[in-house]
Amino acid sequence: MFFYYLDMGWRSIRKTPVLSALMVLAISIGIGITITSLNIYQVMAFNPAAERSDQLHAVQLWSQGPDTWDDYSTIITYQDAMHLRTGAIPRAQAAMFRTGQAIQSDNPDVLPELRSVRVTDSGFFSLFSVPFLHGGAWTEVVDQQPAYEIVIGKAVSQKYFGKVNSVGEVLYLNRKPYQVVGVIDDWNPSPKYYDPTNGSFNDAESLFVPFSLAPVEEFAVWGNTNGWQFEPMVTYGDRLVSEKSWVLFWADLADEQAREDYRAWIQSYIEQQQEMGRFTDTAKADVQLADVAKWLEVNKVLRKDNKILVALSALFLCVCLVNILGLLLTKFLKRAPEVGVRRAIGASRRQIFAQHMVEVTLIGLLGGALGLLWAWGLLHVLTERFHMDDALTRLDATLWFITPSIAMGAALLAGLYPAWVICRTQPSVYLKSQ
Amino acid sequence: MLSMKNISKVYQSELVETHALREFNLQVSEGEFVVVTGPSGSGKTTFLNVAGLLEGFSQGEYLLDGVDVSSVSDNESARIRNEKIGFIFQGFNLIPDLNLAENIEVPLRYRGFDSKERKRRVEQALEQVGLASRLKHLPPQLSGGQQQRVAIARALAGEPRFLLADEPTGNLDSLMARQVMELLENINQAGTTIIMVTHDPELARRAQRNVQIVDGQVCDFTSYQKSRSTTSTTAEPA
Repeated sequence: MFFYYLDMGWRSIRKTPVLSALMVLAISIGIGITITSLNIYQVMAFNPAAERSDQLHAVQLWSQGPDTWDDYSTIITYQDAMHLRTGAIPRAQAAMFRTGQAIQSDNPDVLPELRSVRVTDSGFFSLFSVPFLHGGAWTEVVDQQPAYEIVIGKAVSQKYFGKVNSVGEVLYLNRKPYQVVGVIDDWNPSPKYYDPTNGSFNDAESLFVPFSLAPVEEFAVWGNTNGWQFEPMVTYGDRLVSEKSWVLFWADLADEQAREDYRAWIQSYIEQQQEMGRFTDTAKADVQLADVAKWLEVNKVLRKDNKILVALSALFLCVCLVNILGLLLTKFLKRAPEVGVRRAIGASRRQIFAQHMVEVTLIGLLGGALGLLWAWGLLHVLTERFHMDDALTRLDATLWFITPSIAMGAALLAGLYPAWVICRTQPSVYLKSQ
Repeated sequence: MLSMKNISKVYQSELVETHALREFNLQVSEGEFVVVTGPSGSGKTTFLNVAGLLEGFSQGEYLLDGVDVSSVSDNESARIRNEKIGFIFQGFNLIPDLNLAENIEVPLRYRGFDSKERKRRVEQALEQVGLASRLKHLPPQLSGGQQQRVAIARALAGEPRFLLADEPTGNLDSLMARQVMELLENINQAGTTIIMVTHDPELARRAQRNVQIVDGQVCDFTSYQKSRSTTSTTAEPA
């Protein structure tokens, strides 16, 4: 009977094209707006660390003086980072910041270009499960004793060396030769959770150099530098010993015990520093270990207004559904005489109900398809006209499948009452009057 | 075959209570052709609706084909209507968007017949009413008489035990009306029990038995022996 109902539904839609088009349009607009906001929400709320989310922790220290900042800074000082790097509790750890370097190779056909470079430790790659195609990270020795080694992305390798495996080749950063020790596959976590400070949805870097080179090469910081007191910053060395915060620090802590031990270890470090005149806000001086979910929250990757937007768009969809309900009621009641005949010649209420629900589902499906186009168009407008991040406005693949389901589900919800009303048609009322 | 004892049907609104049928008694035997007449508002259509399980009733006992249908569920009523009863209406009540074949197969679909069986029955029914060549026509493309024949074909396709006809010739001219009446007589002669409501005294005279309803009660009874077989006439005026 399903295909019969489908046929009847399609004929009914064709018979009342204006009314049907209005319903499809109403549901498509509701769905389009809901899916647009849901898409943005989903991208923002996505936790790319997956099952490692509660193991990876960003370290935040209350190192500021009293009556300065109201909350933990997301970045720490270089001197604190250098101490944390000596920790033995985490399974992996990495200090990091972003810089920019002019890149070139020996290939004269490829012009030099300015690119973002992540200055970090070898632990970065295991911390964030970065996939290597060839070679690997530099050794832990390099984390202590600076060496001009670099890990690059596949696309960079192809561009500068014309091949994927460029391990052993030399790439120049600000004219300094770096030996390629590893080539990674395409890797672009979204949100860029390991460093959301300069754009939560920016692309991940594809050039990585040792953190130990920072004081040697005096890499400029392409990111935030926070300070809470005046400090003369004449040389790069001044920056390294200052109270300025500009380094991110991540640690892989396996379980609650490791977290407690690590927290205690840092706490004892803070106490030592207090004796040396640092961490002067004694009432609050502490450490905060933010797992990935907390870290995304701290960095306001998913803003509260996004949640409100999703709720509002869902409310708008409800308004659309109420309108559809009214239109369906009109459409179905207009067909009451036909339903009366069907009931008289043997259709049960359940069969009449099913027939109308199939028609409603068909309308929902058409509305969903059109709604997807609306969503696609709206996201395109957000990118083109309002310069929203491309990562946010890319229609998630799962939504291509989920949207028709949502649309059909919404239509079914709206169709329940009209279908229930029509299936309870008293046949005798209409048979004489036809 | 059809036995109604002390059937009452009351329509109740907030202010008014209308007794459409009161103490209604009627028995119809298998193979009878019963014509129901009576003035407007006497309860003829209500009787037909109750007989066809399109409406329930307030009191009494109704046995259809030996089965007490006083308290059957809605689903069961639908099944009985589908399998045992064929309806013919004054306004034909064909579905205008479906062609003749599709109209006729509607009750067959609800009965769960496969497409092969539906096709066979549709062709047979259309053949029976002389419209076999109009399979793909839409109802509005036919005359009133032809539409009523299609409605009869739809009623016949399920091979029902009863045909309930509510003024089937009411919208037809006299020639068409005679043709439809002849068709119904042929169907009756083939063994189908027919109960027909009409205002037309000429048609009423042609039936084997005439039941008159006045104020919701069977008030008179006339039997016309039209065929060789003598049918038991057991309608009891209330």
